[in-house]
Amino acid sequence: MSIITRLGVKNTREIARISSLTSSFATQSEPPSPVAPDEFRVLKLRPDPVQERQKREIRRTEVPPPRSTQMKFDQDWGSVWPAARSFHPATVPLPVRQGYPLKNAAPPNKYGNAELMKIPNFLHLTPPVVTKQCEALKKFCTPWPAGLETDEKCEKHFPVEVLTSDYCYSSPTIREPLARVVTIRLKLSTLNLDQHARDKLLRLVGDRYNPEDDLLTITSDRCPTRKQNFEYIEYLLTALYHESWRTEPWEAEKSEADMEYYDWDKSKSRDGLITLYCWPEPPIDNDYETIPHATEYKIAVSDLINNGEDEYSLNKYKEAVKNMLFLEGQEKK
Amino acid sequence: MALIVSLRNALPGLEKACIQRQIHVTPVAAKVVAGRYRVTTKRDRPLTYEMANPPHYIAHRKGWNSWNTSNMTDGNRPAETLLEDVFIRRFVTGTWHSLFVSEVIIKRQHNIIRIAGIIRRGIATRKMYFLIGYTEELLSYWLQCPIKLELQTVDDRKDVIFKYI
Repeated sequence: MSIITRLGVKNTREIARISSLTSSFATQSEPPSPVAPDEFRVLKLRPDPVQERQKREIRRTEVPPPRSTQMKFDQDWGSVWPAARSFHPATVPLPVRQGYPLKNAAPPNKYGNAELMKIPNFLHLTPPVVTKQCEALKKFCTPWPAGLETDEKCEKHFPVEVLTSDYCYSSPTIREPLARVVTIRLKLSTLNLDQHARDKLLRLVGDRYNPEDDLLTITSDRCPTRKQNFEYIEYLLTALYHESWRTEPWEAEKSEADMEYYDWDKSKSRDGLITLYCWPEPPIDNDYETIPHATEYKIAVSDLINNGEDEYSLNKYKEAVKNMLFLEGQEKK
Repeated sequence: MALIVSLRNALPGLEKACIQRQIHVTPVAAKVVAGRYRVTTKRDRPLTYEMANPPHYIAHRKGWNSWNTSNMTDGNRPAETLLEDVFIRRFVTGTWHSLFVSEVIIKRQHNIIRIAGIIRRGIATRKMYFLIGYTEELLSYWLQCPIKLELQTVDDRKDVIFKYI
């Protein structure tokens, strides 16, 4: 046995000399033998029991207790939570819970709760903070102009209302194509118009005029910037006003069929009434004021034709005709 | 020659087989599986609150993971926002490797992007601070807007487990 061992050691020495050349390529170098160089190595048929490697110690960093446990009750919350921020359980001293609970369980608490981090919070906008910020902003404010205390006064001095929209987006771009749209609104009664000008203006603006609240609305989005749109609208309003005051020669050709409403003063009904009143002489002038009950008749006829026939207007017309022709008086006699 | 003859004999049969062959159709398995987890026999699959509620509970039991105005009517750059969110998620999960125990929540306000989430305390505090700065710096360089990382730490992965199925 010992012979074999000796031979083996000799051989391995020889081999070791050669293998030292290739040792640089070896992945695992042989462990140095614990035997002294002049001693024989001992063949261990049964290897030593493997020493248990010490488990690597997991170093846990010391986590201090939540900040909320050390907070004083009269602290300045605005300096704890100064700006918009996701919820953090260690900073908020409230026992909040959120989440749909399991059966017979409470909703998940605030620690490790992602739902609380998702929802936007207003912890940075508590009423005292808002008051404080308003106080800080006050020095940049200017007093409200004198003489504009009520809405009526504002409307009187600034009849034109300009409407534009600004957009806030959650994206890095500040450009918004819809911000270029400009709308102006004004009451038509604030413009200095006579009957012809008003009529012409209404024909020009079409459905931009709302007869219910007397508002004229003009919108422009044809130019690329807001300033250009506003200037274009200013031009439009000026052009509309002056165009409606101008009387073109072809406007005299307007006949009764072109009228947008029934005008008794220009109607055949008026001529007929005057002719009838002056019968058998031909009418001298067009004055209908001298005819008794003529004004009542005029209003009744205009209402009947302008507003359509219904029981009320028909009755009114009947009464007016009876009054004018003294039919009622004859009946009485 | 013999081959051609044999082919000629075989061709009509082949043609017939081709015409008669029909498409084999199985019934459509229209089963909704996205965002749903199967119950294990041992009932030991851990689920966070987010995982425990399938997608149809969004806005009922759980919130969205991306908060922005791009998907509203006439919102601008929806596609870019989505792609940026995907990129942020990938970058954050890779940078904080195996540390995030919740979803990455991305909230946008004006040009600020706030990234929130829950991480476990698996690395040293100094490394964590480094990673926060690294993530904020690189993302804000790529996306050209301020980025804020708002993290919450938990001791262990088990702290965010809602239930086991």
